[in-house]
Amino acid sequence: MARDTTPIASARGLVKTYGRGDTAVHALAGVDVDFGRGELTAIMGPSGSGKSTLMHCMAGLDRTDAGTVVVDGLEVSGMNERKLTRLRRDRLGFVFQAFNLVPTLTALENITLPLDIARRPVDRAHLDTVVRAVGLEDRLDHKPSELSGGQQQRVACARALVTRPAVVFADEPTGNLDSTSSAEVLGFLRRSVDELGQSVVMVTHDPTAASYAHRVLFLADGRLVGEVVDPTTESVLAALAALRPARSTEPAAPAASAASAAPVATSSPAAL
Amino acid sequence: MGRVALRGIRAHLVRFLLSLLAVALGVAFVAGTFALRTMLSGTFDGIVDAAAPADAYVRVDQPDDASVVMGTTTAQSVPLELVDEVAAVDGVAHAIGGLSGTIVLVGADGTAVQSTQAPSLALNYVPDDPSLHVVEGRGPERTGEVALETATLESSGLSVGDTTTAVLGGEVTEVEIVGRVDLGGPMAGATIVLVDQQTALDVLSPDGGGVNEIAVYAADGTTPEQLAERLAPFAGDGLEVVTGDALRADSKADIASQLGFITTFLLVFAGIALFVGAFIISNTFAMSVRQRMRELALLRAVGASPLQVFASVLVQAAVVGLLGSALGVAGGLALVSGLRVVLGSIGMDLVGDIPVDATTVVVSLVVGTAVSVLAAALPARRAALVPPVEAMRDDVAVPERSLRWRAVGGLAIGALGVTALALALTRPEEDAAETLLGVGAGAVLVGVLMLSPVVARAAVGVLAWPFVRLLRPVGRLARGNVVRNPRRTANTAGALMIGMALVGAVSVIAVSAQQSVTGVVEAQTNADVVVRSATMVIPSGAVDEVAALPEAGTSDAVAFAPLAVSGPGEEPAVDYVIGLADGTLGRSVEVELVDGSLAALEALDAGQVAVTEAAADQHGWQVGDDLTVAGAAGPQDLSVVAVFTTNVLGAPLVVGQDVLDTLVPREQQQVDTILVTAAAGVTATELQDAVADVVAPYVVVSVLTRDEFVSNLAAQVDQLLVILYALLGLSVVIAVLGIVNTLALSVIERTREIGLLRAVGLGRLQLAGTVTIESVLTAVFGTVLGLAVGVALAATMPTVYADDGLSELAVPWANLGGMVALAVVVGVLAALWPGIRAARLKVLDAVAYE
Repeated sequence: MARDTTPIASARGLVKTYGRGDTAVHALAGVDVDFGRGELTAIMGPSGSGKSTLMHCMAGLDRTDAGTVVVDGLEVSGMNERKLTRLRRDRLGFVFQAFNLVPTLTALENITLPLDIARRPVDRAHLDTVVRAVGLEDRLDHKPSELSGGQQQRVACARALVTRPAVVFADEPTGNLDSTSSAEVLGFLRRSVDELGQSVVMVTHDPTAASYAHRVLFLADGRLVGEVVDPTTESVLAALAALRPARSTEPAAPAASAASAAPVATSSPAAL
Repeated sequence: MGRVALRGIRAHLVRFLLSLLAVALGVAFVAGTFALRTMLSGTFDGIVDAAAPADAYVRVDQPDDASVVMGTTTAQSVPLELVDEVAAVDGVAHAIGGLSGTIVLVGADGTAVQSTQAPSLALNYVPDDPSLHVVEGRGPERTGEVALETATLESSGLSVGDTTTAVLGGEVTEVEIVGRVDLGGPMAGATIVLVDQQTALDVLSPDGGGVNEIAVYAADGTTPEQLAERLAPFAGDGLEVVTGDALRADSKADIASQLGFITTFLLVFAGIALFVGAFIISNTFAMSVRQRMRELALLRAVGASPLQVFASVLVQAAVVGLLGSALGVAGGLALVSGLRVVLGSIGMDLVGDIPVDATTVVVSLVVGTAVSVLAAALPARRAALVPPVEAMRDDVAVPERSLRWRAVGGLAIGALGVTALALALTRPEEDAAETLLGVGAGAVLVGVLMLSPVVARAAVGVLAWPFVRLLRPVGRLARGNVVRNPRRTANTAGALMIGMALVGAVSVIAVSAQQSVTGVVEAQTNADVVVRSATMVIPSGAVDEVAALPEAGTSDAVAFAPLAVSGPGEEPAVDYVIGLADGTLGRSVEVELVDGSLAALEALDAGQVAVTEAAADQHGWQVGDDLTVAGAAGPQDLSVVAVFTTNVLGAPLVVGQDVLDTLVPREQQQVDTILVTAAAGVTATELQDAVADVVAPYVVVSVLTRDEFVSNLAAQVDQLLVILYALLGLSVVIAVLGIVNTLALSVIERTREIGLLRAVGLGRLQLAGTVTIESVLTAVFGTVLGLAVGVALAATMPTVYADDGLSELAVPWANLGGMVALAVVVGVLAALWPGIRAARLKVLDAVAYE
């Protein structure tokens, strides 16, 4: 696949501080980053490293204190609420860790929701492609409460893709899933990049999930501290281990086991 | 646990504020009703004390149920000579012969001095009457002089020394105001004019020589009881002696029972307000419990028993109820003081401070708190029984309980109600029909309330159709939110539904009554012009002058008098008896003959009486029965010759004018209506002008064409409607609060969903639009359901009440349509705050909301 080499999204000198004075927390302390077009990029880092904040700032969900964010050639920082809404509606797709679907709408209605909001006609062929890709053909009339967790996340992915967004932002998309469902969702995200030419940015703490990416970025204390291209689970674990403070003698095992642990124990630090 | 409960309230103050407001509004109405009643009876007691200050009275023997309220004329009098004889009794300080009658006083602005419905009375002035205090000028001494009561003087705009016009004893006369007099208490808007003794005897005396009563004041050292004993020999021969206390107690009891009706009426509305408030309170607690499920589960997990969780929710409800009730009591008292200002400005002064008696406060607090606690009990029970593990999970999904039992119960109660209604409809003449109708209507309303969550999904689906089609995707989202929790939607709409059911029923009944009345009156009145009086009494001078007009072909005065009537084996009871001149029936008034002879009815002879069907049914009178009618000139036996129905004549008995004249002297008869037909060649307009000219000096007399007369009657129904609508407005206000409450809480509950929608591109306006459509759908659902029930119930009334004049069914579609339009407005207003709140949520905060 021919690759346009200009980044689909980039940030320069990104600063985000919560609180002030002694209690100030520098969630992002000057981050320069580019996300490749037609790539699946994973952002990793320990809790409090600022990975979710980076994604929220990139997606226009959160305001930056300094620096610029450009997505698909548009400067996001400095947009007003109306422009941000239009940006999200027309150029971005979202997959969250949980609560991705409107419970009163069917799976199909949830998938076409962004088009309905934008009052854009549904491209039947593209919709069929997306629905087939996530394997939900026979579940379209079901309400979210009648779907399994994995099916719900796949519906969320289909919704994120149906508008042909410039970038899909996925925040811990497999954080609540068992390993089989995770593999389905991640496989689908990767295929959407490889087969549909989609650009995806995914925040995760799961090395296995990160191994599906083309490139993994590592964040610690609000700074970009490392990068692994064409990762494997092992190379990601090694990179994470290198990030840990030296006195830690623990192996990377806790991070690995976290992927299959109960969801409650691994809630995302998104709220900071 | 108590501390946790109280902290919960403090932490979620806004959430509880709305239920606080709902309780406060409901309780305000209850407290206001009680306080108003206390104040009204205090005022009327004051009037009674001022009007009957003497220690004992010698008066005409009153039949038991005869009203002793001021202004009622008795047909007989106490001989004037007795006044001096009573005064000579040992221990009597003063004996005052009292006289009263109606008067029309023309004020400074040229119109009659009159306020609200209070009477306009002329009293005789006796210089040594201890209850009268001349505070300015002097008392009237000769014909042509009057003194005015202080409040009357004030509202008339006149001052001492002015000359004005009065209609006294049926004649228009010039009078000079020579003084201002206090009667020792407020007169609640009554117009009081004092005339000199001779004039009073001439024009006010029932039979030209006697007085209404003798007020006797005891000398020092004589008790009222001793006084009454010494006066006892005067009793008998139609007279009685009563102590002042007994008379006052009688009057007060009489007034209290009349006020009791008003209180009941107001309490019904207060009950509705509270009932509607209970809906909101239970909704608030249901939702607050739902949201706090995790917190409550945590309490359970750390060892709280279900009972403790249950108690903690109830404690919150009790605190909210108590605070709301306290606010409500204050609000109710404020309401009453506002009302007092309004009443004062239209001339009806209420006395005393706003009564803050213990009963009012305690009853209001208890009612408000109890309703709150009861309304919270169900959600509290649910909160207590949720297993801790389930509630700790990430997505707390409280399983919706099945609606099956509600459906079964609702259907059963509704079916019972329908059966009762059907029974009432098939046998409307049975005595039990009215009870069945009431019970049936109540059961149907409760049944529909129970069923409303079951029908909500389908009904809202239909109502939402245009929104879903036209406003993609907002309409669909809104519909989904409304039907997501049918129970909550139904509860929210239920508050509006109750009010609207009453509005629907009342407007159908009112319009039906209006049509029935106007239809019948049109058919029963042949007069070209109808003369009426604002004081209900047309001066006799006016009657004569109208009759003498060359433009008037016929002029039939409807004269009546209150007389003691008794059928075979009955105790005498006071009823109004109308005297009609020969030929009036069939000429200017048409009645419908039910039984007896039409010929006899149209020419009632000596010894004959006709009765209305309603009176005949009530007393069991039949054609051929003899009724004893007692007037000033003694009793007469009259034979019932006809039973008829009428909507024009307002009294149950009709006799010939000659018969009435032999029962009561002309001066004692009241004429409230003159029916005039035009002479040949005179148009109705010419006749109206001519009549208007001659009655102009009498000020209070109005001249209506037949159409105006009919629409005048209809306007009375409209006035009644306005009052009812004003009261029902309160329940609508509470219902609006309920919608605001539910929406606001539902917005909080849906925070994450809202965040998601915003994240995928839903604009703020679209979000607010969704909330607004939800609100409108809920309001319209409640309104349509309520109106449907109300109209259906009201439609059964004409069958049962046909005999009482409610013969036609009319449905005011335009009014009902207006109500639905109002519901849309209500919905939009209710959505304002929750909508703005939802739109202002920050996307990220909402996405990350726990």
